[in-house]
Amino acid sequence: MAVKSTTAKRQATTASVGVAGHHKEAISFSLSRLWQSPLSTWITLAAIAIALSLPASLHLLLKNLKSLTDDKREVPTISLFIKQGISEQQARDRGGLLEELSDIDKVILVPKDKALDDFRRITGFAETLETLDENPLPHVLVVTPHMNLIGDPGLDLKKLARKLENYPEVDLVQMDIEWVQRLRGILRIAERAILVISILLALTVLLVVGNTIKLNIENRKKEIEVSRMIGATSAYIRRPFLYSGLWYGLFGGIMSLVFVHFALLFLVSPVNELAQLYGSTFTISGLGVKITLYILIASSFLGLVGAWIAVGRHLRKTHY
Amino acid sequence: MIEFKSVTKQYPTGQLALYNVNLKLAQGEMAFLTGHSGAGKSTLLRLIAMLDTPTEGEVVIAGQSSKTIKKSKIPAFRRNIGIIFQDHHLLDDRSVFDNVALPLKIEGMRPHDIKRRVRAALDKVNLLQKEKEYPVMLSAGEKQRVGIARAVVNKPLIILADEPTGNLDPDLAHDIMQTFKQFNDFGSTVLIASHDHTLIQNMKKRIIALRKVKT
Repeated sequence: MAVKSTTAKRQATTASVGVAGHHKEAISFSLSRLWQSPLSTWITLAAIAIALSLPASLHLLLKNLKSLTDDKREVPTISLFIKQGISEQQARDRGGLLEELSDIDKVILVPKDKALDDFRRITGFAETLETLDENPLPHVLVVTPHMNLIGDPGLDLKKLARKLENYPEVDLVQMDIEWVQRLRGILRIAERAILVISILLALTVLLVVGNTIKLNIENRKKEIEVSRMIGATSAYIRRPFLYSGLWYGLFGGIMSLVFVHFALLFLVSPVNELAQLYGSTFTISGLGVKITLYILIASSFLGLVGAWIAVGRHLRKTHY
Repeated sequence: MIEFKSVTKQYPTGQLALYNVNLKLAQGEMAFLTGHSGAGKSTLLRLIAMLDTPTEGEVVIAGQSSKTIKKSKIPAFRRNIGIIFQDHHLLDDRSVFDNVALPLKIEGMRPHDIKRRVRAALDKVNLLQKEKEYPVMLSAGEKQRVGIARAVVNKPLIILADEPTGNLDPDLAHDIMQTFKQFNDFGSTVLIASHDHTLIQNMKKRIIALRKVKT
């Protein structure tokens, strides 16, 4: 009873800063602690950053591979080689009819003369070609199926190919689509693999932060003990450590973004050169805003959880 | 204010620290706790601060029983008790001011009020001019006085001291005891564990002797 009355009196005469004040104090305290031993802090941050930059860059790789296959300019096509002896006009008519099919987006006719011109221009075999009496190339109908057919793998495309093969004018059907489908299959596996790697590396971050916080706790054992004895709650003791964990996660995350960015800068020009060789305008795309935020949130969260586990263990061990 | 009812404390190691202790200390009383080392003085003080729980019996402090108090209420309860240790337990990486301010920060007091209270507490132990210094720069007696300032800064109901003069020469020890007496005059209940008999006898206060438990 006596306790209550004096406590009440005390609170009446001196206002409290409240929870917000405690948080403010814990934030500034934990930040200042971070830079008291800069070397070990940097090492911890680097370890976190490396662990995080690996899944981030794998994600980026996957994203770029996907964009290669998604790219509207690089839409996979089906090439119909027309039998020799079929006139250009007949081929054009067939193309017009095909275009009306629901599966097909558009059809372009490449007449054999144009094909020869292109061949001559691109390969530089002009002189060799001059020796030929007639153009050995067939007319080609380049058929672009609707994108949604490429999206869901399977029978529709095969059925379409068979249907196209049955037309009397058609000699051969060559699908550029199959490799896209295969690539997509591989990418799906890669996606899973990256998920597994990400989980393992997230655990690494958890362990790194947990261990660092554990060391911090060891260094400040006396302070914790004294605080306990003069009436600090578990929440009060825990708070600065949780913020430390949060900072480790957040700053480690920022550092990993810097790493990934530098790696990208390093890759941009050779990739562009390679793309040019393939006649493509493809360029590497970087991490988007969404994925950047996602990495930062995830890394902060991991730091927080790692710290929580470490402090929780200590508090349970020394509970009195 | 402090009451022990047939309290026995046995540590998990099997060591019997206290056996069937009955003790009553009224509000505003000042007393000394004596006994050989190992007689259980520190254990008794820890039980009062509820840093430990008795194996048997009951400890009632300021209306709170060791049997019924909730774990979550213990930190708030502890703020009514100021503890002084022989080795002062100061934090070396914080200034004198910050060391003394720690209990008030934990309580969540506003910085303005903290400043006022800390200055007042340091003034009482004559260390106001050293508030910016760090513990390593202080003499043993000064460190102990900082420890006292930290213990009394939030005006606790009970002040506990565990061998507060153990490392000090007689003159300093006498000064420290006078400081405790002042706080007692202001109304705090004071219990000091000490084996310095001459010093205790001069204070003319109640003396509680703990005999070593036969094992």
